[in-house]
Amino acid sequence: MSGLSQILASMVSLKFVAQIIRMSTGLFFAATASFVAASTGVGNIAIESIMTMSALFGVLGSYWTQSAIGGLVIGIACGILMAAIIAFFSMRLGASPILVGIALNTFAGSLATFFLYQFTGSKGSSASLRTPGFGSWDIPVIKDIPVLGEILSGHYVLTYVCVAVVILLYILIFKTPLGMRMRACGLNADAAKTAGINVDRLRLLSLILSGILSALGGVFIALNYINLYSSGMISGQGWMGIAANGIAQGNYLSLILAVLAFGLFKAVAVVFVGTEFPSELIGSIPYIAVFVGIALISVINYYRVKKGNVAEK
Amino acid sequence: MAKKPKTNRFSITNEKFYNFIKLTIAILLGLALAFVVLCFVSKDPVNAFVTILTGPLKKPRYMGVVIEKFVPFLFSGLCCCLLFKCGFFNLGGEGIFIASGLLMSVFACNEQLAIAGVHPAICILVAAVSGGLLMLIPAFFKAKYGANELVLSLMLNSAYLGLGTYIIKYHFLTTTTSLIASPDYQPTARIGFLSGQFFQDYHISITFFLGILATFLVWFVLYRTKLGYQIRLVGTNPKFADYAGINSFSLAMKTNFIAGALCGIGSAIQLLTQFNYFNWTGVNSPGIGFSGALMAMIGQSNPIGTFFASFFIKYLEQGTTVLYYSDTSVPSEIVAIIEGVIVLLVSSTYFLRRLREKKLLKEGLQSEYRNDREAK
Repeated sequence: MSGLSQILASMVSLKFVAQIIRMSTGLFFAATASFVAASTGVGNIAIESIMTMSALFGVLGSYWTQSAIGGLVIGIACGILMAAIIAFFSMRLGASPILVGIALNTFAGSLATFFLYQFTGSKGSSASLRTPGFGSWDIPVIKDIPVLGEILSGHYVLTYVCVAVVILLYILIFKTPLGMRMRACGLNADAAKTAGINVDRLRLLSLILSGILSALGGVFIALNYINLYSSGMISGQGWMGIAANGIAQGNYLSLILAVLAFGLFKAVAVVFVGTEFPSELIGSIPYIAVFVGIALISVINYYRVKKGNVAEK
Repeated sequence: MAKKPKTNRFSITNEKFYNFIKLTIAILLGLALAFVVLCFVSKDPVNAFVTILTGPLKKPRYMGVVIEKFVPFLFSGLCCCLLFKCGFFNLGGEGIFIASGLLMSVFACNEQLAIAGVHPAICILVAAVSGGLLMLIPAFFKAKYGANELVLSLMLNSAYLGLGTYIIKYHFLTTTTSLIASPDYQPTARIGFLSGQFFQDYHISITFFLGILATFLVWFVLYRTKLGYQIRLVGTNPKFADYAGINSFSLAMKTNFIAGALCGIGSAIQLLTQFNYFNWTGVNSPGIGFSGALMAMIGQSNPIGTFFASFFIKYLEQGTTVLYYSDTSVPSEIVAIIEGVIVLLVSSTYFLRRLREKKLLKEGLQSEYRNDREAK
């Protein structure tokens, strides 16, 4: 078992902490996307599909403009378009948001393959295209500080964007009048309407924001690790974000902790890759962790409601 | 309550006819969008479009592929049909296709079970029971504790794929080829086409009739039995169902077990008719479990609708395959565009609603109009 002890030793290092932060970035985007949509009470479950499409168009955009920023812009535009489709069908045409979400998630994969084939001639990946990515960034002064430098510096550029987004979103939702109105829509749409809040407009806004955040997640996954799109690369990260939001139940700190926990399991899975342990088995760990997390929180809630500590919704 | 006024059967004011019109227009719009897309990607869009629509009719063999491929789809669609009717958004079907399919493969490779005629039946039974039981895992946490069954089932799907790949790779790997797949099935386990020229031409095996039987049974259970009535009641108004004394937990378990069993059967049929080994590993996921949800949505959660929806979508896919023989610029994924438009429009309750409302008011059916408004 020397292999195992070596692996465990590698987990107690600063590099591993940095790895957790890296692994959590995509999840953070997905989780905040789910959070912002849920805050107004619409619930966006199409995050996985938005991430898939914007990952593809982020890569294509990066190829067309030959710049990572161009890719990001086109990826975000794609995310906004997808969010607008959800908003149109669920708010104007009265379709159930869950059904719209299931539909988009189910055929986004095929649609992405369709576009990929049109632009690259391959159904698997965009490896034939030269696509500049974002790369990583060493923070000038901090990188020389011994412990802090290794944790804080040298991450992907979008990881820093992610940190900024998480903070800004907190301020928007919890510290501004607009955010308060959004939360009012989520708590009681009728009361909010009576108070003179335009519920539909705020819900549209939150869906669009959710689309942008999901798109950021998709572009991050495509243009940071390997700078290409391959089918199935999102691999459930959108759903993990939704799961994190489900565990958090409106509490921002729990959201961050849940994402970091999922990121930890993903980082553990990465550490085991290339060792004697079967990677397929290890690769399932994050999914099982999310399953256990969601199941556990629902059981806890059930008994809390039963004991009468919390009013039933 | 006042006597319900008679409505013309073929008027948009009739609920059933309205749904039919909605579906037809959704299909036409889907096809129209596909044509627009074809204009961009194909050199000869008109010919390509016609080939997609008529391609499978050119040879019996082409049609045979449609018939062969749509049966597992149908089972997956029926599964989602039942679940949606009961108000469950459990997408565990995909995972069941993998997990039950793998378990069934172990039985299909077993030499001791190799008795002609009995072997496939055992395999299908194993897949059905295991599928039903696996479906209960997310359903239990939803029904008992109110967890989000959608996320739970999706996480399980991904986990099953990983675990399945592990089992195949380390404990159940074929030695004859370099594929990451199970060993070949026993010849007795395979389900062949029925004898007779017609059946051979159109690839019709016993599974086709199983599909028809299953569709009828699901329809019968949903609309002609107490269980079905309870399922529909819980699906439309869970609180009322609770008040009426329906044990929603045991009902949810029953429904999910039946649904999971349907998916398991679909998996067994898919593997025993079209494959000779199990190779849903790595990223090679079947995708049928997810498509089932779309089929159920196009079929408006009606088993018979689901039957035709699965056939229609598989027919279009075969059409694109036929087109691919002559024109490689159009990938088969174009069907996804048609599928998407149809699903989104069909699930839109307000789509064409205004037209119906105007007509209702004009015909003096104020009560119906009010019902419609309240339904919003």
